[in-house]
Amino acid sequence: MPETMTDAPALGETVDLRAAFDGAGIGEVLAGLERDLVGLRPVKARIREIAALLLVERVRQGCGLATEAPTLHMSFTGNPGTGKTTVALRMASILKALGFVRQGQLVSVTRDDLVGQYIGHTAPKTKEILKKAIGGVLFIDEAYYLYRPDNERDYGQEAIEILLQVMENQREDLVVILAGYADRMEDFFTLNPGFRSRIAHHIDFPDYADDELLAISESMLARQHYRLSPEAGAVMARYIARRRAQPYFANARSIRNALDRARLRQANRLMAAPQPIPKAALTIIEPADLLASRVFAAPAADGSD
Amino acid sequence: MDTPNPNITDEAQTVRGKARYKSGVLEYRKMGYWEPDYEPKTTDVIALFRITPQDGVDPVEAAAAVAGESSTATWTVVWTDRLTACEKYRAKAYRVDPVPNAPGQYFAYIAYDLALFEPGSIANLTASIIGNVFGFKPLKALRLEDMRLPVAYVKTFDGPATGIVVERERLDKFGRPLLGATVKPKLGLSGRNYGRVVYEALKGGLDFTKDDENINSQPFMHWRDRFLYCMEAVNKAQAATGEVKGTYLNVTAGTMEDMYERAAFAHELGSSIIMIDLVIGYTAIQSMSKWARRHDMILHLHRAGHGTYTRHKTHGVSFRVISKWMRLAGVDHIHAGTVVGKLEGDPLTTRGFYDILREDYNETRYEHGIFFDQDWAGTRKVMPVASGGIHAGQMHQLLHHLGEDVVLQFGGGTIGHPQGIAAGAMANRVALEAMILARNEGRDYLAEGPQILNDAARHCLPLRQALDTWGEVSFNYASTDTPDFVPTAMPAY
Amino acid sequence: MRLTQGCFSFLPDLTDEQISRQIQYCLDKGWAVNLEYTDDPHPRNTYWEMWGLPMFDIRDAKAIMSELAECRRIHDDCYIRLSAFDATHTWESLRISFIVQRPRDEPGFMLTRAEAAGRTLRYETRAYVVQKPEGARYGNSG
Repeated sequence: MPETMTDAPALGETVDLRAAFDGAGIGEVLAGLERDLVGLRPVKARIREIAALLLVERVRQGCGLATEAPTLHMSFTGNPGTGKTTVALRMASILKALGFVRQGQLVSVTRDDLVGQYIGHTAPKTKEILKKAIGGVLFIDEAYYLYRPDNERDYGQEAIEILLQVMENQREDLVVILAGYADRMEDFFTLNPGFRSRIAHHIDFPDYADDELLAISESMLARQHYRLSPEAGAVMARYIARRRAQPYFANARSIRNALDRARLRQANRLMAAPQPIPKAALTIIEPADLLASRVFAAPAADGSD
Repeated sequence: MDTPNPNITDEAQTVRGKARYKSGVLEYRKMGYWEPDYEPKTTDVIALFRITPQDGVDPVEAAAAVAGESSTATWTVVWTDRLTACEKYRAKAYRVDPVPNAPGQYFAYIAYDLALFEPGSIANLTASIIGNVFGFKPLKALRLEDMRLPVAYVKTFDGPATGIVVERERLDKFGRPLLGATVKPKLGLSGRNYGRVVYEALKGGLDFTKDDENINSQPFMHWRDRFLYCMEAVNKAQAATGEVKGTYLNVTAGTMEDMYERAAFAHELGSSIIMIDLVIGYTAIQSMSKWARRHDMILHLHRAGHGTYTRHKTHGVSFRVISKWMRLAGVDHIHAGTVVGKLEGDPLTTRGFYDILREDYNETRYEHGIFFDQDWAGTRKVMPVASGGIHAGQMHQLLHHLGEDVVLQFGGGTIGHPQGIAAGAMANRVALEAMILARNEGRDYLAEGPQILNDAARHCLPLRQALDTWGEVSFNYASTDTPDFVPTAMPAY
Repeated sequence: MRLTQGCFSFLPDLTDEQISRQIQYCLDKGWAVNLEYTDDPHPRNTYWEMWGLPMFDIRDAKAIMSELAECRRIHDDCYIRLSAFDATHTWESLRISFIVQRPRDEPGFMLTRAEAAGRTLRYETRAYVVQKPEGARYGNSG
């Protein structure tokens, strides 16, 4: 732990930020982020900026230049399936590595985990979750559901008040990340200015490009020891373009669901084979496994299929 | 572990059919006691012997002879074998390795079919495995090093009456070793004087006091006197501290009838624990375990006499085997060595004993002398007891070597304190609690041990005095019972 | 007298910082920390009153220290002990237990002896405070 200096800081000496960076193991976390996550260019850039800021903050604390615990609460905005939870996990590691949280766990919740059903139910529920999150990061997905402007008796208000208090008074104990759709979060912050003022960092998660989603589907399959045949790769690319145009598109989450169904169809196809199959066939997704999707039933938006 | 051994690749030479049962003398290896291709079944009992054959005796023949003599064989062929499924009953030597760095000694692995043994009887198991064979002439020496007891056999024993976890629950003591002391002098105290020692030690901070192994019922102190005065001391100390206290009342006697009588009296007086000595024999131990189970009593075993057959490295029975038998037989406490005290105890070998007593599954660890994986299948754990020549100044080493689930017995280290017994007890307890506190805080308590003790002594004068009296005392003699295998560093490429 | 139940009763009362480090040790082991309080300190009084459920899934000691503060506030003249459960198979019991608050005054226990057959005595240990009703034994709150 850096010692708190009471004397005026001696600023004549030099500071090796690179050494501090390596010493905290931030490099590995950032490299892991780069390696494991497809796309997300602007997000990764923001994380690097924040990591640099935190590192400098930590060094400044060591020099006696900063004394207060900084505000670290964040908002992650973007459509479903754009990697917000995954990045929150990495953020928790960075905060732990730099000593801004003590344990580094991520506790991921939604309104139902915080808000109760009857009077007196909400405060204990919220406090129970906060106890689990102390020392780490509390990730509240679709945070705007905490607030129901149409119902002023809504118990969500009680949870909001407790959260605001903790975000202000226990900054050294936990970091809160609020997540959700960008437009709804904006409304939420407008109606609850207390949250806006307590959020230090906003990160916007763009939708994945088609080629990124294709890369994601390949890596998801590889982790389960599957791969797309070359023909199936082309079909998957068409699938992605069509799926995006349809309702309830959720980026990587839609891809995962599509692949789950493709594996089911692959299994049925293999079972139906009249003779023994080569073992390699167990790992390959063929066009038929994808083409049966209802996504291909509707006419393509651009008329190409 | 692989021990490549070009000398011992002998194939089986078993004589089969009619020739096998021709009258006369046949080599053991030819009678079916050497089966190098045998794969032990999961239900087999496996014994590992260290054999030292007489000069000129082939090690494989010696191993086969041990297998034979510890199972079905006699010195000559008998036709009555053919009335039995004798191939099943024959023990099978299946592997013989030279002992590293010990010319003339061999490790012989012998498998016994489960059908050879009566369920739940240590007496029967030992009558087979060590019954006759230790006096066998073709061997210079023989030592039973380890045994693999199949789950099917383990489950025929009740195991410890209480076990570590339930003992802790009954005593309401968690998170630290228990503290005890053996009442000294061993002999000559009257019951009244004896109880004084118990009271002072328990009130001062110990959890237990203990009779010594040879305190039974001698002219200077009748057992009933001892029990009555001890229980007065226990109850008085309990009220003085608000803490559960106990004293191991030794019920060892000349007959089972006498032992039951003494145990019943201890029970009537409200004692939570009784004690027996290993010399009463395996059957008596199992009987007392059954009794203890029926009477909610913790059963302490003093390993009196074990040194006569456990200490010598080439002949006898390793204490790790005794530990296994006693866990099956069902004792709750057993003296298992201190490492740092006055009695024999190599650190790694002792660690092996402790693991056998306390783990639910022992993995093979040659460097601790554990030759087999041993599944205890939920058999309760035995609390090891470290007793003999230990003092508060060694607390960090004791915790490091022996861990948390152990009774540390400071006899001289309590009663010999310059300010009296209660002061000695307090010194030990303060030293222990300070060490546990430091360990849990993540400090390097082994390296910082002396500093931690000195800091604790600042608020505890008796600890200061104990450290000044015994701080430097240690017993550094070479151990005789040491592991044969040492971990070697792997070359880095 | 000083009640010496628990792991650290022979040391000076632990500071909050020391308690916090012990809690973190338990949490790092994956044990569930539990707070209990009583005003009947008899050594065989196994079931102290529970301050809520054992706290599962907690990672940081501070979360438990705030519960301890609350427990102390409500039961400021009781014994409070902190223990930790280990659910590992073949243990499934407490791994540590120590007192984190004791009443300002500890009158101790009365030991009575009733003479029975022969030289046998029947002992009874009773905390002096239990003559008063539960909740009014130490000081005026509790």
